[in-house]
Amino acid sequence: MASSLSETRIGHDAGAHPARPIRWGNCLLSGYAMLVYLFLYGPVGLLVLLSVNNSEVIGLPFRGFSWRWYETVANTPELVHAIVNSFAVGAASALAATVIALLMAMGFRSDLPLRNVIVKMLLLPILIPGIVGGAVFLVFFGVVGVPLGLWTTVIVTHITWVLPFAFLTLFPRLHNFDRSLEEAAMDLGARPIIVFQRILLPLIWPGIVSTLLFSFTLSFDEFVRTLFVIGDERTIPVHLWVLITNQMAPFLPAVGVIIMGTSIAISLIGFAVSARSSHSGTEQ
Amino acid sequence: MKDRTGTADKSRIDGASQRNRVKALLLVMPGVLWLIAFAVVPIVFLGIMSLWTSTIFGLSKTLTLDNYRSVASAPAYLLVLWHTLLIAAATTLLALIISYPMAYFLSVLKGRRKTVAVVLLFMPFWTSYLVRTFLWLPMLGRNGLINQALMRLGIVSAPIDWLLYNEGAVLLGLVYVYTLYMTLPIYLSLDRLDPKLLEAAADLGAGPFRALWRVMVPLSLPGILSGCIMVFLLACGAYVTPQLLGGTRGVMFGSIIAAQYMQTNNWALGAALSVILVAVVFLCVFTIGRRVRLNEVFLGVRN
Repeated sequence: MASSLSETRIGHDAGAHPARPIRWGNCLLSGYAMLVYLFLYGPVGLLVLLSVNNSEVIGLPFRGFSWRWYETVANTPELVHAIVNSFAVGAASALAATVIALLMAMGFRSDLPLRNVIVKMLLLPILIPGIVGGAVFLVFFGVVGVPLGLWTTVIVTHITWVLPFAFLTLFPRLHNFDRSLEEAAMDLGARPIIVFQRILLPLIWPGIVSTLLFSFTLSFDEFVRTLFVIGDERTIPVHLWVLITNQMAPFLPAVGVIIMGTSIAISLIGFAVSARSSHSGTEQ
Repeated sequence: MKDRTGTADKSRIDGASQRNRVKALLLVMPGVLWLIAFAVVPIVFLGIMSLWTSTIFGLSKTLTLDNYRSVASAPAYLLVLWHTLLIAAATTLLALIISYPMAYFLSVLKGRRKTVAVVLLFMPFWTSYLVRTFLWLPMLGRNGLINQALMRLGIVSAPIDWLLYNEGAVLLGLVYVYTLYMTLPIYLSLDRLDPKLLEAAADLGAGPFRALWRVMVPLSLPGILSGCIMVFLLACGAYVTPQLLGGTRGVMFGSIIAAQYMQTNNWALGAALSVILVAVVFLCVFTIGRRVRLNEVFLGVRN
């Protein structure tokens, strides 16, 4: 997703666009876009407002600004523990999925037997609905006899879930990569590992970093599949779910804002890295 | 003479490409093994388990179609399945209506404004869908924004209850959470479109709507179709949204599957229901979108 975004042409020639409908058509379109953004961000804004609302119930009216719900979160060991768990699993699964995906994307540049079969296998975790994905993993681990837990079942589930996205972000970068640089190095006698280290890696490094970051947010936000296989441990989305379905605690908006803020911050960095790299790519 | 050097070259090239293929195979091997172990095999397991039966003594491993028979003979399951497909279809349609003008808006923007507009649109979708579903509770609840605003304006005197816990709330939640999967592919296909084509249509006397309908829409059809497939797939498997916003009236198939694992502990029936959901969804997708190739949708390459 991210890569395709960065690939889109950003600078069009001025005036390249057709003499389109009429001027009021454009105003209408901009007004419509504003409404869509309002629909997207309005509820998010409300959540942020409620997270600092000095009120015992989740809802309006606004009774004054207060950090108390964030303090409650920081002083609740289970919540902090769940957040730490999410960061750890996110980092580990992002790293594992990116390494596996990078190797696959490199292999995909050659004429590979069974290419289409491999692509279909890669798409399985995306195409199977989340709820079925959860059932699939629970049944599998149950039959094989793996005890449910963060570092057994959850990590495997997350790597499998993130892998296709990591591949789809990395693949176009390697696919568009100019192979003549590598071939030149090979002709000059460089060993494959040196070519990888000195030529390929430095050039696709921004792509790898943004893939790591996007993979992290995917794992950090994953919920349904995790709910099935987590047993008694908690990631922060699972903990939020348990709290929502049991009783509505007034600090829930603060938890929601922390989850959202984390993924937004990390994917913004990812966007920045990937935008910069595609910019330098056009200069070559 | 000439011929022989030709074959020698050819065999050298063959040898090199043979070595390349082996290298490529070695590179993809960890990923392929991982996918076989944790994607293909588990799905096969689920298929087999759907043919077992859950008893009070545990799983009976005799292969039988009992689970499927009990689903087929229970109108309640089929009704929820039908209901789920309808909600998913409505979600897809609404997402398409919202997305097309939005995608067009993004595709005609230029420079920095375009980057900002695109990133702003993406940002919310890169965050937890659980949180994005949860935030509709304070939007629509009794103390929520809508009710408070309506009361403040004097339109209603007491909070209205029917905003939440029904199909409408589920539909709203699903559209909110999944619209990007429609906007993104349409935007990408419109962005690739050569603006000269629309100019040509205008030069040849086509009005704006005719140009839109006869030139732009057909050329963005791959984007539309892949968007529809993604949103329909995601909405059919929804669990969080009906669970949080649907109440008893907005139950979807995902909730029934989850109940087999989290409440009644009937894993075999849950497996059969999962197989049914996947089969029905894929049947819908392949009859509607037979013209779309998955590789093109996901990799953006013809291969």
